[in-house]
Amino acid sequence: MSIRLSSVNFRYPSTEFGVFDVDLDIRDGELVAVIGASGSGKTTLLKLIAGFESPDSGRILLDDADVTDLPVRDRRLGVVFQAYALFPHMTAWQNVAYPLKIRKVAPEERYRRAMEALFRVGLKGFEERRPQTLSGGQQQRVALARALVFQPKALLLDEPLSALDASLRGEMRDEIRRLQREFNISTVHITHDQEEALSMADRVAVMERGRLVQVASPRELYDAPATRSVAGFVGEANLWDGTVTAADAVEVPFGVLHVRPGNHAAGQRVAVLVRPENIAVGRLDGGAAVFEGSLVRDRFLGAMRRYDLAVGDAVIRGQTGFRGAIDAVSIRPEHILLLPQ
Amino acid sequence: MALITGLYLAFLFTPIVLLFVGSFGETWTNTLLPSGATLSWYVELWGEGSFRRAFVVSIEVVAATCVFCTLLAVPLAYALYRSASRGVLLAARIVFLLPIAAPPVVLAFGFILVFSSDALPWLGSIWLLIAGHVVLTLPYLLQTLVADMRHLRLDALELAAESLGASLRERFLDVVVPLLRHSLGSGLIMVAALSIGEFQLSNLIAGFLSRPYPVVLLQAFYGATGFACAATVVLLTLALLAAAGGAFAARSASAYRQARR
Repeated sequence: MSIRLSSVNFRYPSTEFGVFDVDLDIRDGELVAVIGASGSGKTTLLKLIAGFESPDSGRILLDDADVTDLPVRDRRLGVVFQAYALFPHMTAWQNVAYPLKIRKVAPEERYRRAMEALFRVGLKGFEERRPQTLSGGQQQRVALARALVFQPKALLLDEPLSALDASLRGEMRDEIRRLQREFNISTVHITHDQEEALSMADRVAVMERGRLVQVASPRELYDAPATRSVAGFVGEANLWDGTVTAADAVEVPFGVLHVRPGNHAAGQRVAVLVRPENIAVGRLDGGAAVFEGSLVRDRFLGAMRRYDLAVGDAVIRGQTGFRGAIDAVSIRPEHILLLPQ
Repeated sequence: MALITGLYLAFLFTPIVLLFVGSFGETWTNTLLPSGATLSWYVELWGEGSFRRAFVVSIEVVAATCVFCTLLAVPLAYALYRSASRGVLLAARIVFLLPIAAPPVVLAFGFILVFSSDALPWLGSIWLLIAGHVVLTLPYLLQTLVADMRHLRLDALELAAESLGASLRERFLDVVVPLLRHSLGSGLIMVAALSIGEFQLSNLIAGFLSRPYPVVLLQAFYGATGFACAATVVLLTLALLAAAGGAFAARSASAYRQARR
């Protein structure tokens, strides 16, 4: 089941917040993560798809059927909330069986399907437990089972992992991805955690001040961000102000970088992006720009090391497995990306 | 701190203990404690038809007040909780705080004026007495329920239920009502306790055959001390039973709904 948002606009009354001119296509069985800073409109986007809010203009389509004016309860979408929203007066299986009860499924069938759903999320033996006696991860699984048991058209996840501790989060990422693939269900995953988005999603949509600024695969988003803000938001980045001086050169505050010839005009102001892992330690030849400086920060993280090298007034952030002394770094042209200022 | 607590508890419980002791004392005049022991005051109380009738009336009034309060307060509290308009909330707050702010005697005079007319000749009926008790006790139950709804974050749970396909009615019956069982129980304890002890309004609007226990109790104070003590102990017991009954009824209703699930 595909989800399509076409020119969707929504503004919270008397505020500047909302979502504006959103066009988004989510393909059948695809998991799209929506990321953005607080207030960027990502949760509002989910509310609009779910039907908790109605757009001021634009259309929302599920498999080409217009659901813009359809009430929440008739959209048949599975929603997993940030705080799970499990019913505290029901046991785990009763929570999972609730959407089936609403759909008048016979009690025996309801119980059987709820138990099967609990089994699929790995909660066999917890069926008679109440939510408050379950751990955060277990509650999360009950919420997932409840959202999937009635075979919804799509799954909407509103920051489902934010309430879990770091060790559980990784496990639940894999679990959600496994279930999403198993059910082959189109999924919108709202998160502020870019690592979570990159590791789980088929595509990632980045929101900024209510607008979608880029929708791309995780790799494309990381390697070729559309804007300076996307580059800064997704992953670690060196971002410097630069001025194009020639077809293959750009001037940054600490010197001149050689870049691959592009269609930037001389004198154009740009943002220069180099990922820390692309900063090579030492003095390389063969077209790389070499900069000497002194280490101002050095963090040992086991398999790798993150460092800041001061070059004049600027700082180059690097990442390496090299353990020796660092007094110079090299930047190759193919690792430099020029973005609009 | 312990001393102050002890003194406060002594101040609170001494009259109750003395009433209890006095109800079994043969004679009690100008002494700290009564002399002799007897059950005769209770036997005499049982023999008084007016007290027996008042006892039954009180139970009927409390039970009906609890039922009507529940039927009115739960949907009303839900409507208040869901209302987004500040104006509606303020108006509702004023309306349901008014019976608390205004003395019951004021309400009673209003009842007398309205319900002693030929058009509405219901003054003295037990139904009017029940209506009066509902007006007086409803605000307390409403306050308890609305506060609990906010505490439970019902809006998030309802949103979840709605996304699962539940209609407004299903959300109300499956989510709201069962979750309110604790506050409904504690609210009904308060309603029952207030209703059983209510005197001002009942004294003015109750008919001769529908006088509740506190109104008849007043007569006991003109007689022997032991009789008055025994009659008051009965009222105290009645209040405790009514409160327990209110709480039990709320829990049973909730348990019934859960069992049906």
